[in-house]
Amino acid sequence: MVKILIASHGHFASGLKSAIQILTGMGGKVETIDAYIDDSDYTLAIRQFVQQAKADGGVIFTDLVGGSVNQKVLLEVANAPKIIVVSQMNLAIILATLLEARPITTEVLDELISQSQVQRITVPKTPETTASDDDFFS
Amino acid sequence: MIAQLRVDDRLIHGQVALVWTKELDTPGIVVANDNAAKNEMVQMTLKMATPTGKKLLIRSVDDAIKVFNNPKGKNMRMFALVNSVRDALKIAQNVSDIDGINVANVGRFAGGDKATIKQLSSTLMLEPAEVAALKELVKMPMPVFQQVLPSNAKTPIKNLLK
Repeated sequence: MVKILIASHGHFASGLKSAIQILTGMGGKVETIDAYIDDSDYTLAIRQFVQQAKADGGVIFTDLVGGSVNQKVLLEVANAPKIIVVSQMNLAIILATLLEARPITTEVLDELISQSQVQRITVPKTPETTASDDDFFS
Repeated sequence: MIAQLRVDDRLIHGQVALVWTKELDTPGIVVANDNAAKNEMVQMTLKMATPTGKKLLIRSVDDAIKVFNNPKGKNMRMFALVNSVRDALKIAQNVSDIDGINVANVGRFAGGDKATIKQLSSTLMLEPAEVAALKELVKMPMPVFQQVLPSNAKTPIKNLLK
């Protein structure tokens, strides 16, 4: 399974980990950085993850493009071409990555990202007709 | 055949759609629930929660029993979902081909009189009628257990009823 780091401002990263644990029991499979909740230098934790993941590859999810967390991550992965950085993260993309059976390449990740977008939900005005038993068994 | 009959008051939701349909490798999901069978809004939310590529059937408990006993379904692995122990018991008494019954999440949204609720685990809070149904359910020949997520241990319901 691909190594995953989630890095955010505040408790977003550990909050995502909590949701992942409830939904899948796989919270222990992701590492997290909650930046700026105290005065510690979180770049050390990024560097540590990059060291562990740069040989076999990994994915780092960050909260905002251009945010300082994202900037620090980009500086740390500059010499680690096998680590992929994804920004504007949400719960759906991290779950999809965790549960993906195929190796995580940039192509696979782009496909998962396209299926994990935020979306406005509307209720269809005319409900779909209920499937018949025969459709179900066919 | 029913690969698993799951009692879950959320029916199809994140744990079921993301994790269990993969774990059980079931192409078909059957929701057996009288309210869902006649409420179009509930049907819409269940369809939205169904993973891409899985077939969904929403039926009343009685109609679902006919589906489970349909000879066409003999070789199809089905994931059956009910939201109460009573409905699970009715299905278990009328369908023979069930691999296991997973009493996972029940009672969180039931309201009711807290004084009469029996808490069997962190996700099972049962009214007296549900406890009575559960005592009948564990007498059935198939395994009856609790396992919220595949990464959790399978706990026999008999152990929780002690």
